[in-house]
Amino acid sequence: MAVTTIAKPHRGLARFLHRLRHGRDSAQRQFVFGSVSPMVLYMTFFTLFPMIWGLALAFFEYSARRSGGPILGLGGDNPFVGLQHFRNMLNFAPDAPLEIRQFHISIKTTTIFAFLIVPLNLAITLPLAVLIESVHKRLKGIFRTFFFLPVLAPSVGVALMWGWIYHPQRGLLNAIRTAIGGKLVATNWTGDQSLTFLGIPVALLAVIVAYLWQDMGYNLVIFIAALQGIPESIKDAARIDGANWWQMFTRVNLPLLKPTIMLASVLTMIDSFKVFDIIQVMTEGGPNEQTRVLVLDIYNNAFRFQRMGWAAAVSFVLFVVVMAISIVQARLLRTEWEY
Amino acid sequence: MSKRFPILLISLLIIASVVLGACKAAEPTPAPPEEGKPAEPVTEEVTLRVWTHQNDAFNEGYANLAEAYMAEHPNVTITFETFDYDTYIQTLQTALPAGTEADILQMFGSWVCSYVEGDNLAAVPSDVLSMDKARDTVFSAQLAGYICDDTLYGIPQEFNIEYGAVLVNTRLAQEVGIEDIEEGWANWDEFIADAQKLVEKQDDVMIRAGYHFTASDAIPATFYSLILQYGGQYLTDEGFRVNTPEGKQALEFMISLVDAGVVDPVLFNDEENWVGDAYFEELTAIGLVGPWVIPEYAADYPDIVDVTRYIQLPSFSDEPVFVASSGWGLTVSARSQVKETAWDFISYAVLNPENATQWNIASGTLPALKANAAGAGAEKLMAEFPYFEPFLAILEYGQHEGHFPDRDLVWYEITYSRILNALQGNMSVEETLETLEREVNESY
Repeated sequence: MAVTTIAKPHRGLARFLHRLRHGRDSAQRQFVFGSVSPMVLYMTFFTLFPMIWGLALAFFEYSARRSGGPILGLGGDNPFVGLQHFRNMLNFAPDAPLEIRQFHISIKTTTIFAFLIVPLNLAITLPLAVLIESVHKRLKGIFRTFFFLPVLAPSVGVALMWGWIYHPQRGLLNAIRTAIGGKLVATNWTGDQSLTFLGIPVALLAVIVAYLWQDMGYNLVIFIAALQGIPESIKDAARIDGANWWQMFTRVNLPLLKPTIMLASVLTMIDSFKVFDIIQVMTEGGPNEQTRVLVLDIYNNAFRFQRMGWAAAVSFVLFVVVMAISIVQARLLRTEWEY
Repeated sequence: MSKRFPILLISLLIIASVVLGACKAAEPTPAPPEEGKPAEPVTEEVTLRVWTHQNDAFNEGYANLAEAYMAEHPNVTITFETFDYDTYIQTLQTALPAGTEADILQMFGSWVCSYVEGDNLAAVPSDVLSMDKARDTVFSAQLAGYICDDTLYGIPQEFNIEYGAVLVNTRLAQEVGIEDIEEGWANWDEFIADAQKLVEKQDDVMIRAGYHFTASDAIPATFYSLILQYGGQYLTDEGFRVNTPEGKQALEFMISLVDAGVVDPVLFNDEENWVGDAYFEELTAIGLVGPWVIPEYAADYPDIVDVTRYIQLPSFSDEPVFVASSGWGLTVSARSQVKETAWDFISYAVLNPENATQWNIASGTLPALKANAAGAGAEKLMAEFPYFEPFLAILEYGQHEGHFPDRDLVWYEITYSRILNALQGNMSVEETLETLEREVNESY
């Protein structure tokens, strides 16, 4: 008599494990599972969990100094406050508490910073990439390396170097101005709050120049790579049609670089919203909070003054702002070009 | 079943346990004593863990005391774990609520009460030091930081001072014809006249300040000390009050120093030409900063140290009252299983005048013990640090700066930045005092 074994249906995890062990290409599946799992675990513990934790903290008046409730220190002395932090952010009264006014200042400063950095960066790197692309092959590498080197330099080192350039008495910038004018100049570029240019604090502009110097090599390399990706046939066709250098740039290169420009501007914008180290070292947010940016505000609240809940709420706002800008930019620069 | 699957599963579990292990606190919590046994028999081997911030001079002093204590108590082993300053602050902030701290914790007096709030620190047992004895033994300005709700939670080792005497470069003074600067100043007019002579300008740009008092410790220390000297108090029953006649007098006097041209607060502040750097690079002839600055710069600027004297500042009151933060001292964790030994070591290190002097000499700090500000202790200290003399004479006039929920916020983020703003001419006196008062009260 024949005995028939009917396999029980597998469900959920059991089905997955069964297919992993016995399914077609099980060795390949096991390899993929084994390779990907450590990274998934890593991302879960070091990215996903901190994100969830950060979001949860935004709804509590949390400080690591207080013991709080039994579950992760939440509750008790670290009470649940719901949306209170977010409601407080909308308090625009001139006598609002200090941390709220500082948040408003940091939002404004970060926005100015990012919206100046992106166009300035693109205005420098795009033409520069075209120029580098047009020079002899052997020189390209030298220029690329030359402009990319600051990207490799640590931000703290860059900040210290620019701090020396801007120093009122010993700085290079004032030394040049003194040598040219024949009269001692001791402008405090990063510390005199009365200095403004077109309504923008000079201290903020000084930091922007330092940031641009360090950051522009990255976009430059992206643009050079994108320019090299434009098919020669398109350029040849334009040349046969009699296009000059400017027309080649505006009618051929620029439209075809649109997806790259979008990518570069989104990345630069996101990086600009996250700026911290260069400002922390150069100005610490001064003079009189003229260079106080969002991440510096988050850092000060979280780690100097132990207002973790408030800092988490500000972090959440930063996350939303960066995401919104990325979506808007992606839509604005959407392109159908294919080549 | 495939043979490889269990191996794969075990590998994943190992990875997961390594990741989880990394998340665990680095230091184990001390094991609780077994039930029915005394917490700490005298003959039992005891290990005391001590946390301090990284300061070679301080830690050398601790190491010497620990060695001597262990020689006298062979059953006790003292181990030190040190952290750089910023890491130490963050470690204390997270380790104390988590209960993973050491037995003895070095603390800055201004921090103590914020940790007491979470029941993290043990009160000093009265047989080690009663409150009355503490008041007789330790300078009140230093003790106050360790008293929270009328209970003592630690013992200070140093007198932290940022006001009362100034660094003076006597060589520069002689160069501009001030021969008697070491004799001091009878009043502020004399002081301002000397400071003005020491200013150096080129093309209307100040290249050397006469008196640099515009750093982040010096501005609050000056402002609040002047309020006391004018007869006011900034901590009252109604809260923090500086928008008062005395507050106005203090700020107007500070502005008058700037108007007299002794310093340019745009070029000399905390961000540019910090007072320590400026003084030792001869960018200022007189600087307001505590005596801790000399050991920091002595190795790099021995020539400047040779011509440096600390000279007492003039005072608006008969007694040269000033505000001071509570300095570094030692506390014991409330969760320590070896509290008795911990307090015994602290008592040995801090309350024994000879040992306390030894630590002050090793660390280059002023004494917190009244007994060591005079007599043999003072002589030993002055033999090592002659520039301590003007400070030792005024320590008794120090008044504790007061308890703030976040002292650094009040001192640096609010007081320094708002007053510097006023000194730079960007805010009126009235507006500054009103802002200062409101922002500090908000921080409660």
